[in-house]
Amino acid sequence: MNASVRIGARSLLAHRRRLVGTVLSIVLGVAFLTGTMVLGDTLRANFDTLFADANAGTDAVVRSADALADPAVPGGVRAPLDAAIVDRLRAVPGVAAAEGAVQGAGQLIGADGKPVGGQGPPTWAGNWIADPTLNPYRLAEGRAPAAPGEAVINRGAAKAGKLHVGDTTVVRTPDPVRITVVGIATFGADADGMGPSTFTALTLADAQAHLTPNGSGQVSTVRLRAADGLGQRQLVERVRPLLPAGVEALTGADATAQSTADVSGRFLGLFTTLLLVFAGIALLVATFTIHNTFAIVTAQRTRENALLRALGASRRQVLGTTLGEALTLGLLASALGLLGGFGVAAGLKALFAAIGFTLPTGGTVVKPATVLLPLLVGTLVAAGSALAPALRAARTAPLAALRETAVDEAATGRSALVRTGVGVLMVLGGLPALILGATRGPSLALTVGGALALLLGTVVLGPVAAASAVRLLGAPLPRLRGVTGALARRNAARNPKRTAATASALMVGVAVVTLFTVFGASVRATLDDTVARSFAGDLAVSAPAAGAGGSGVSPKLAPALAALPEVRAAAGLGRGVAQVDGHGKQLDVADPEQLAQVTDLGRIDGSLAELGADGLAVSRTEAAARGWRVGSVVPVRFTDGTVTFTVRALYRGGGVTGDYLISRQAWQPHRVQDSDTLVAVALKPGVSLDAGKAAIAEVADGYGNPQVQTRDEYAESAASGVDMMLSVVYALLALAVLIALLGIANTLTLAVHERLRELGLLRAVGQTRAQLRAMVRWESVLVAAFGTAGGLALGALLGWALTRAADSAGTGSFALPVGRLAVVALVGLVAGALAGLRPAARAARLDILQAVAAV
Amino acid sequence: MSAAARVEDAVKEYGAGETRVRALDGVSVEFAAARFTAVMGPSGSGKSTLMHCAAGLDTLSGGRAWLGDTELSTLGDRELTLLRRERIGFVFQAFNLVPTLTVRENITLPLDLGGAAPDPDWLDALIDVVGLADRLHHRPSQLSGGQQQRVAVARALAGRPQVVFADEPTGNLDSRSGGEVLGLLRSAVDTMRQSVVMVTHDPAAAAYADTVLFLADGRLVDTMQRPTAERVLDRMKAFDGRRSPAAAR
Repeated sequence: MNASVRIGARSLLAHRRRLVGTVLSIVLGVAFLTGTMVLGDTLRANFDTLFADANAGTDAVVRSADALADPAVPGGVRAPLDAAIVDRLRAVPGVAAAEGAVQGAGQLIGADGKPVGGQGPPTWAGNWIADPTLNPYRLAEGRAPAAPGEAVINRGAAKAGKLHVGDTTVVRTPDPVRITVVGIATFGADADGMGPSTFTALTLADAQAHLTPNGSGQVSTVRLRAADGLGQRQLVERVRPLLPAGVEALTGADATAQSTADVSGRFLGLFTTLLLVFAGIALLVATFTIHNTFAIVTAQRTRENALLRALGASRRQVLGTTLGEALTLGLLASALGLLGGFGVAAGLKALFAAIGFTLPTGGTVVKPATVLLPLLVGTLVAAGSALAPALRAARTAPLAALRETAVDEAATGRSALVRTGVGVLMVLGGLPALILGATRGPSLALTVGGALALLLGTVVLGPVAAASAVRLLGAPLPRLRGVTGALARRNAARNPKRTAATASALMVGVAVVTLFTVFGASVRATLDDTVARSFAGDLAVSAPAAGAGGSGVSPKLAPALAALPEVRAAAGLGRGVAQVDGHGKQLDVADPEQLAQVTDLGRIDGSLAELGADGLAVSRTEAAARGWRVGSVVPVRFTDGTVTFTVRALYRGGGVTGDYLISRQAWQPHRVQDSDTLVAVALKPGVSLDAGKAAIAEVADGYGNPQVQTRDEYAESAASGVDMMLSVVYALLALAVLIALLGIANTLTLAVHERLRELGLLRAVGQTRAQLRAMVRWESVLVAAFGTAGGLALGALLGWALTRAADSAGTGSFALPVGRLAVVALVGLVAGALAGLRPAARAARLDILQAVAAV
Repeated sequence: MSAAARVEDAVKEYGAGETRVRALDGVSVEFAAARFTAVMGPSGSGKSTLMHCAAGLDTLSGGRAWLGDTELSTLGDRELTLLRRERIGFVFQAFNLVPTLTVRENITLPLDLGGAAPDPDWLDALIDVVGLADRLHHRPSQLSGGQQQRVAVARALAGRPQVVFADEPTGNLDSRSGGEVLGLLRSAVDTMRQSVVMVTHDPAAAAYADTVLFLADGRLVDTMQRPTAERVLDRMKAFDGRRSPAAAR
């Protein structure tokens, strides 16, 4: 065996206890990365299978060619087709079957009166397709719907809603439709449903009545089956010449691929990118830990490396030995992490399920890239982190073998000057960029650039600041804990470079936690302010909208509530999509006069009352950005064509309404499936909130039981989504913080090993075991305090900048959640104390005589 | 008599300005081939510095050093490394062995670093001489100090170097273990015609040498052939009282 390789392998084995922390941090980081990628692969494959199954018997799909992008609907919104086309297609030679399909949002109500399913997975309603090959659902019980009001529901929905054949219930389309369950269906041969989504199948006439804008004679798509011997592509070729303008035909395979791409590209893309960011943070923190461990281990092996150099080992051989160790370690740990990644994938899925965000199930899928990339990343992170220490090891002077001891030296003289210069430059460059980016513009790119420079600058400056910072933070220790405290404080400050590197890992973790805490609190405050400023009503009626796994509130509810004697005004707020002047936009749809009574739109230029069928109200900031004034003429393209609108009013944006507002009258001809996201209600003077709420709930009950909330409750529930996201983020960041704490424990263990003689001496002159333990623990707390304090300050600053930079309209709020940040600080300190437990226990176990004799 | 190594007008200075220390002040010496040379002197006399510079572990501030016909000051790090690996053997006072390698692996380490296969007969003979045949697979921590130092001597001899440099090889040993190590070095010179240079402050150790060089304040002050412990001790006593505190290092 080659000498370098042998020495490397031996030293790995000999130092395995010291390297446990390093291995663990790589394992955790790689496991997270692998988990994310496995989850992404699995979900993509699951969705692919779902869509393939849904289209299994369909050889071609005919639909409107034009799709308007809608953030709530993957693939966008398309205009329905004239149902007459179904019969024409059925007559085409080579078409074995043609069925019109109607599909829309339909929220099924369970036996307990509560909606079945909810956030996340869609809730579909449609028609029961008679042709068994074109219909992906199979009847498991009962029969197909034949008469008005009869419905088949999927088995998953039946289980969740405790519904059986013969039961009657309601499906919100969003108008409440009373249905009798006549059958229960499986998706394909045996699945409970198409993933976790629910499906309510009505007769074609019912589906058309409730889910298409005209109420009859329309279908969403036409599904075709080819005669035997005719391929999908040939079928499409045959059908295509017969289609009217604006209608397209595509093969079943292409339709599947498109659906998968729509979901993968939007939802999965965002989802996996988010998780990858957190995996990246964990790996970044691991880099600090690994670097630190190798720096210390290399410093402790200076004499050994010097001896090798004296005996004729070349620089390259010493470099190779150290790098080889890091590579081997990285590869081993990455392999372990890879295995752990499958557990993480399952854990992540469980985490999202726990917050009510169900993902489709199916076997775990692993692509070759998912195995190779984490292995490569983990190994490179290990080798990259060890590069600087390895280069330092290679530069060891042979004479160092003859010196008494050699430990990691602090930055002194010129290198400290260079370090300070570079750090100060980065901070001086980053801070103004951050502030400018956040306040002027605002420019997200400039802010992020400034933030990165600031973060790097802080890490670079760490060693310069560490000694004084630790002395400052530890100032009360000598008084609190006497000589033990004084020693702990001095130990933490004796090697500023090492203290800083250890604390940096925690600093990055805490900074990101703080950033999200501040950002989340600010988003909450913005939501609160939005409701407080613009919601002038007393009560809000709402249900999850179509994109959020519901079907919204029936547009008929608002007029019904307005008619109540307790109610002064009730305005439904609907949502539509269109391309305004070439840009895809969401439109708010409302009755302008009712709306003006329940929301505060600020100063109005022009008149809301005069919107009519071709009028547009625009927020003042959006109008300014586009250069519009009252009277400007704007082309608006809907799914069914382009209409010229005139800007008739300008209002203050950033409230419960978005940037564009049109009347119901204007939306009516272009709607696909009409629903409101919110009905805002103002009570008559003298009507108490409770009485009003009771009266409204009674009426709302008949509309599928949407949520009735007071203004404060509504604001609270809007903000609770932020809290939920924040808890997911905390769970994901916990890993990075854990890795940082492993780093602290690891550094301390190595320091204890290095100071063996000194610790022995302290014990020999009368330090008790308890005092020794306390000394090591306090040092740990001090290092953690340094990292936590830096992270809090940096995170709060970055949180402020991000909040400002992301708020292009200038209407958002900023909040510094002092209570939560205090909890973060406390957690950091307590965790620091915990990280010191094991090294302290090890130090306390040492044998005095052996320690003093140790070389 | 040709020289295995020599220095000419060797000057070595440490530090700068006020704190400048001149450890070697124009020393010229020759270390004869196939002879055992001891270098002696009080603390701070420059004896260790002389050895480090002659062995290519440290570089001179002025003057020149040769190993055989090779002038060390012209060599870069790479050449110096190869020189140490192939032409020089080292025995240090402490921390002489790589703790993670076995006795046998430590002995062949310089050869392994160069990728050379050790001559098995030579290796067996060597192991026989140092008397560690039954300890070959032990780790250094399982050996006594004297045994560890004998392994270090075997390692220094394994590559049949031009010169073996030993820096206080008996400094950490009791007199019996020290005697064994010195006996080993002596027999290497006598039976293997090995050149050995040893720095020591122990007159009894110096008595094993053929020649003793005395250094004081960075200068060569005396040379003694066929020394005995008594004569060396007497010579050393003459240094007392004229020790320069500035040269203490």
